[in-house]
Amino acid sequence: MAGTVPHGIRETRRLFLVLVVGALLGLAPASRAQTQHGVTFQELEESLTCQCGCGLTVHSCNHVDCSSALPLRKEIREQMALGKTKKEILSYFEAKYGEKILSSPTTRGFNLLAWVAPFFVVAVGGVFLVWTLRRWTRAGNPIPVNSRPDRSGCPNLAEDERLQRELERFED
Amino acid sequence: MDSGAVAIVIAWVLGAYALVVSIWGGLKQRQDLVRSGEHAVLAMWAFTTVATADLLRGLVSRDFNLEYVAQYSSSTLPLHYTVAALWGGQAGSLLFWLTILSSMAAVVILQNRHQNRTLMPMVTATLMAIAVFFASLLVFVTPPFQRLAFTPGDGRDLNPLLQNYWMTMHPPSLYLGYVGCSIPFAFAVAALVTGRLDDVWIRTTRRWTLFAWFFLSLGNLFGALWAYRVLGWGGYWAWDPVENAALMPWLTCTAYLHSVMIQEKKNMLRIWNMVLVILTFLLTIFGTFLTRSGVISSVHSFTQSGLGPFFIAFLAVAATLSFALLMWRLPVLKSTNEIDSMLSREAAFLVNNLVFLGMAFAVFWGTLFPVISEAVRGVKITVGPPFFNRVNTPLGLLLLFLMGVGPLLAWRRASLASLRRNFFWPTVAGVTVAVACTVGGIRHGYALLSFSLCAFVVATIVQEFWRGARARQLLLGERWPVAVARLTAKNRRRYGGYVVHLGVVMIFLAITGTSAFRVEEQVTVKPGEAFEVGHYRLLFEKVDAWETAHSAHMAAHLAVFEHNQRVDTLKPEKRFYKKPEQPATEVAIRSHLGSDLYVVFGSYDSASQTATILAYINPLVGFLEWGGLTLVFGTLIAAWPQRSARKVPEWEASAAASSGSHSLS
Repeated sequence: MAGTVPHGIRETRRLFLVLVVGALLGLAPASRAQTQHGVTFQELEESLTCQCGCGLTVHSCNHVDCSSALPLRKEIREQMALGKTKKEILSYFEAKYGEKILSSPTTRGFNLLAWVAPFFVVAVGGVFLVWTLRRWTRAGNPIPVNSRPDRSGCPNLAEDERLQRELERFED
Repeated sequence: MDSGAVAIVIAWVLGAYALVVSIWGGLKQRQDLVRSGEHAVLAMWAFTTVATADLLRGLVSRDFNLEYVAQYSSSTLPLHYTVAALWGGQAGSLLFWLTILSSMAAVVILQNRHQNRTLMPMVTATLMAIAVFFASLLVFVTPPFQRLAFTPGDGRDLNPLLQNYWMTMHPPSLYLGYVGCSIPFAFAVAALVTGRLDDVWIRTTRRWTLFAWFFLSLGNLFGALWAYRVLGWGGYWAWDPVENAALMPWLTCTAYLHSVMIQEKKNMLRIWNMVLVILTFLLTIFGTFLTRSGVISSVHSFTQSGLGPFFIAFLAVAATLSFALLMWRLPVLKSTNEIDSMLSREAAFLVNNLVFLGMAFAVFWGTLFPVISEAVRGVKITVGPPFFNRVNTPLGLLLLFLMGVGPLLAWRRASLASLRRNFFWPTVAGVTVAVACTVGGIRHGYALLSFSLCAFVVATIVQEFWRGARARQLLLGERWPVAVARLTAKNRRRYGGYVVHLGVVMIFLAITGTSAFRVEEQVTVKPGEAFEVGHYRLLFEKVDAWETAHSAHMAAHLAVFEHNQRVDTLKPEKRFYKKPEQPATEVAIRSHLGSDLYVVFGSYDSASQTATILAYINPLVGFLEWGGLTLVFGTLIAAWPQRSARKVPEWEASAAASSGSHSLS
């Protein structure tokens, strides 16, 4: 048995992988109630950075009479009233105030690197880790799973030993 | 000249002496020189303490002729904030840092008078190299005892934002965490230099690492709670560069706390653990660089100064030297890495390390990307909360999942039977919660996943305690509470770790609740008008105004109704500090089981008598504090001294015995 992977473990591994991948990719961010134009005021506020120096989004800035957030909010409302899409409104702000007004990098050109790099690093790290683990597993000397002596014939002894083993496991 | 200023100069000299003499003593194997260096460190501790005491004296006695005192306090500043002003300004906080570092160095020296004698010269030298850097800043660049040519009538006062009770806790915790990371780093460097690369340095620093991690965790949490209660934007984490600076070393330190267990058990990952310790230390210095340099605009801009270049130079030297040492010792560090199965706790811990490092990189990358973009494209861009949330949410959830899986996998190899046995109930718990949430109307994908994983993790923790205690109960006939207590006492690190995990689950609940289900309303109302937020109705009654010597206050009185019953009156405040003239918010919070009603007094127009009120319902946010408390409790369990003698590491035992000492379940 040593060295071969039982079918059950392969299946469990597959399940494990599915769970991990599912956790990573499975779920999209929240959808919020949207206006007929497909965008909410809050969504736009959160997509823009307040320029007063607070470092927060227009939505989060709560400075009294903020010289940046208040006019920007007014402008967002005006743009929404024109019936524009989110993309059009954000392009308007980008053209008017420069890219720094957007609260996160665009997904174009060089900025794409901002989004891709973290996942790329984790993916490359993951591939390297799996490769390393495989190498180490091969280098290892796996102990057969069922190599313990079978004492099923004497139930009390077997039960005692199982409990003892379990306790060792918990206290180790 | 102030006695404090003299003390700093003497401390600098003592630090430099200890640095040189320790290296020399180590090289020549002369214990007398090594001891002399250690005594110099103890003396340095005394002198930094004198300097700190003198600055405190200046602050408390309102000695406004001292520039620092005039700049960061005033005659009306309450005593506890006057003491806190010690770390409220740059020179004071550097002195505070140096004092903590020299205190920790002194403790390390006293702890190791009769042990680790081979390592100690380089431990002392490394700690003193760091101390001399900080002392140099205090002597040559930003002396805290500068006297003014005249004595102003009063000081400029402490920044109003800092006049909060969290100010007495958040910076000291963070500093203890930051400085604490220097101790494992110093031992790692010593191990590399001396070639004593067995697990001695790791065992010696185990409690120090936990100490540093504990205070880093608290520092971050206190910062979050401070932001929540003071900044008044309804949230607690804005992915500000300085917040990120404190989060990064926490992430790498947490990774290390896990992977070091593999080294202790199996003598593997010796290079990797070195890398993590070095990286954690470098990130603490990088964090200080980000805070001090102002290279990236931040809400912590009150801490900015021209010290950036000094920190970046120190960072470069420290990184070059430590990684050069590591490269030099690489052939010796290489261990025979073997694992028995991909389905083992070792493997799970390594995946955990990957995710922690991935998150640290994502935070690092996002924080620096504006600088990179400006350098490459010449265009200023912003990398704000939406970026960090989007990138870190999947990674964070993966981590939550691993937190449940790790404890369920046995060391070495998990058998199929044990997998079935261990995963059954936690999976049932996770699925049940997912179904219940879906039936209950939750449609937010990430929130569903997060709640379900939280249930999964809690179930694994409960199952671990329950099974362990049951085994003791059946075998030894102990009662339940006794069995649980003794089980925990037998392996404090493991069960303390589970309690910490429980705290982390609570923090995840708070993050999920507030990011997915927050309700907010912004209204402009006149007295007598009411509005609704969530299931509450808020009636604006009146505005109350009063003045103190220090500040002018204006509070909105809001009657809170729940199911048509008046349950509370909230009084959010607008404050106007006189010195410096600056407005500030004092939010009012009604904490309720499960959610907070959080009210901010935005502005008031006296002509029309209208007030702008921002009201938020922050679900589950209370778990942030409960999670923090649980984390403290768990860390105390894990760090509490074990009464029994040191256990022989598994790898040592297995090397001694030829076979069969491993438990398989």
